[in-house]
Amino acid sequence: MKGLRFLMVTKKIFWNFRHDKRSLALMLLAPILSMMVFGIAFSGDMEDVKVVIVNLDQGHQAPVFNQSVKISQSVISNMDRDVLDISYSSSIEDGLKGVEDGTYYSLIIFPENFTMNIMAYKSAMASENVTAIMGINEHSTVSIRSDQAEVSVVSEVNRLVMQAIAETMEQGGFDVPIDVDVSDPVYGDGATFIDMFIPGIMGFTIFLLTTTLSLITFVGERTQGTLYRLMATPITEGEIILGYALAFSILGMAQVALLIAIAVLVFDVMVVGNLLLTFLIGSMLGMVSVSLGILLSSLARRESQAIQFYPLIVMPTFLLAGIFWPLESIPAYLRPLSYGIPVTYAIKGLRSVMVRGWGVAEIWPQLLALTLFATAFLLGAVLTLKMERRRA
Amino acid sequence: MNGVEIRGLCKSYGKIKAVDGLDLTVGSGQVFGLLGPNGSGKTTTIKLLLGLIKPDSGDALVLGRPISKGIEFEKIGYMPQETALYEELTVHENLKLFGGIFGMKKRAFLGREEEVLRIVDLKGRRDSLLSELSGGQRHRISLAVALLHSPEIIFLDEPTVGVDPPLRVSFWKTFHDLKRKGVTIIMTTHYLDEARKCDNIGLMRSGKLISKGSPGRIMKDTGTDNLEDAFLKLASAGSPEVLT
Ligand SMILES: Nc1ncnc2c1ncn2[C@@H]1O[C@H](COP(=O)(O)OP(=O)(O)OP(=O)(O)O)[C@@H](O)[C@H]1O
Ligand SMILES: [Mg+2]
Repeated sequence: MKGLRFLMVTKKIFWNFRHDKRSLALMLLAPILSMMVFGIAFSGDMEDVKVVIVNLDQGHQAPVFNQSVKISQSVISNMDRDVLDISYSSSIEDGLKGVEDGTYYSLIIFPENFTMNIMAYKSAMASENVTAIMGINEHSTVSIRSDQAEVSVVSEVNRLVMQAIAETMEQGGFDVPIDVDVSDPVYGDGATFIDMFIPGIMGFTIFLLTTTLSLITFVGERTQGTLYRLMATPITEGEIILGYALAFSILGMAQVALLIAIAVLVFDVMVVGNLLLTFLIGSMLGMVSVSLGILLSSLARRESQAIQFYPLIVMPTFLLAGIFWPLESIPAYLRPLSYGIPVTYAIKGLRSVMVRGWGVAEIWPQLLALTLFATAFLLGAVLTLKMERRRA
Repeated sequence: MNGVEIRGLCKSYGKIKAVDGLDLTVGSGQVFGLLGPNGSGKTTTIKLLLGLIKPDSGDALVLGRPISKGIEFEKIGYMPQETALYEELTVHENLKLFGGIFGMKKRAFLGREEEVLRIVDLKGRRDSLLSELSGGQRHRISLAVALLHSPEIIFLDEPTVGVDPPLRVSFWKTFHDLKRKGVTIIMTTHYLDEARKCDNIGLMRSGKLISKGSPGRIMKDTGTDNLEDAFLKLASAGSPEVLT
């Protein structure tokens, strides 16, 4: 009984939710809401991407059927119309103008000798004439000139053009010198962008909401004087923190469960790995976040001051924890900061379990990092409470 | 064993000497009243005795145990000057939280809960949220929490502020009942009619105790026939003289 005093603090936090439905809603509905917003925004397939094609291809007079062949036409017909909205232009200048004034994302140019070069290559290969093969120094080049401001759109256009070329080459029985096959991934078969960022959103919202709520609650303990009252009872600083940590790690688990349910039911996200591991990560992140909230609360005398810490914790986490893009795309000089953010590990762990189906054997570095962060932050929180008693 | 023995206790906040070399003994089973103008160091003294703040120098015994060696909170009741309860919880939940922290078993707790709510005359509000109570009612719940675990010594920081006169009378009856059971009560107050009901009182000014004794003794020493005149006389005396 005596050792379980901290449970009273945990219970108190849950009693609080019973009366303060708003906070409970914040903890449970806000993550869902944010996931819905991001999910709907990102899950839609790209469509109506306006591109303009300038086809200068002269074609090739086929010797046998005495017919003109334009391989560029096949390539264009193989382009995915679900995504690309294709217009044509007769001059490169007009096409460029269209990209410059924002009418089109990309200008795709087929040069005059597009078909010629391919045919020359093909016949040289067929003749097995080494000098003829060596003599070909002009390759067929499709130029894509894009508005690079929309990086993701552009890479999608590039991908679709390459895909159309590859298909055409295959249909025409041309030897495509380089063959890249990405159809059989090691992990994440069938994964889309949403599968990859949902763990990111989970980690971020759990962190943000737990830190916020515990910061506000604990500033309240100080301003209302209840912290002093607690300190004049047999409960120790460690037990107070433990009580808080337990409550918010339970909430962390609940948030993970809820978010995964939504992700699976609404967004059809696949979860390959062990759900229990995701709960574990959620609860550890809850613990890290609650102790960070308590640590920050010792710097704030009032709720309004607490708000001022917000940009300080939210922005770096949002940008550096790898929510939407992998750590590799973060500049190398900023990456050490990423490794100093606990959410980074939670997201990496969640992603590995959910998309890759990894187990403890693979994600132990993330679990270890989270354990270390949780221990350090919890001890830090206990220490600040003890120091405050000395200072006050 | 004395309830409290204070020896040369000092605590400064920057330049302000909130408690300045305090010496004081309160026998067990006494009702002791700590008086003094705003900012004279009454609350700071209580917080020092509860280990909520650490003294710069000096020490004190609470129930015979030095506060520097840790405090037996199980035996101590504390009613802070501010309400210091959870506004978003009900009266019952507030009591249950502290009962649980003091390790009370469910049965014992329910009995005591009824008892303390009777004392503060708020039995009917057990399931109200604290935030739905009036200021005086909240203050009364705060007293109920302090009494809940049947402590041996109780520190009450202005327990009767905002409490209506009939209830104040009943509070004093409770204090004297507790005293009869051997409970030591140390309270601060600004009301002189209450000071008169204490066994002993101490008058603080600028962190120092400038007078101490039974109300009768203080009136006699200052040659006055009421505490008001006695305090005015003591307060106007040039340098605070420490009476023992
Ligand atoms: N946390 C603090 N920081 C700085 N100064 C403080 C602090 N707490 C108290 N003081 C100062 O110490 C002095 C004594 O304060 P204390 O609260 O003990 O007075 P008090 O006798 O209880 O007054 P009141 O009758 O108004 O309750 C005051 O001058 C006050 O300004
Ligand atoms: Mg005071």
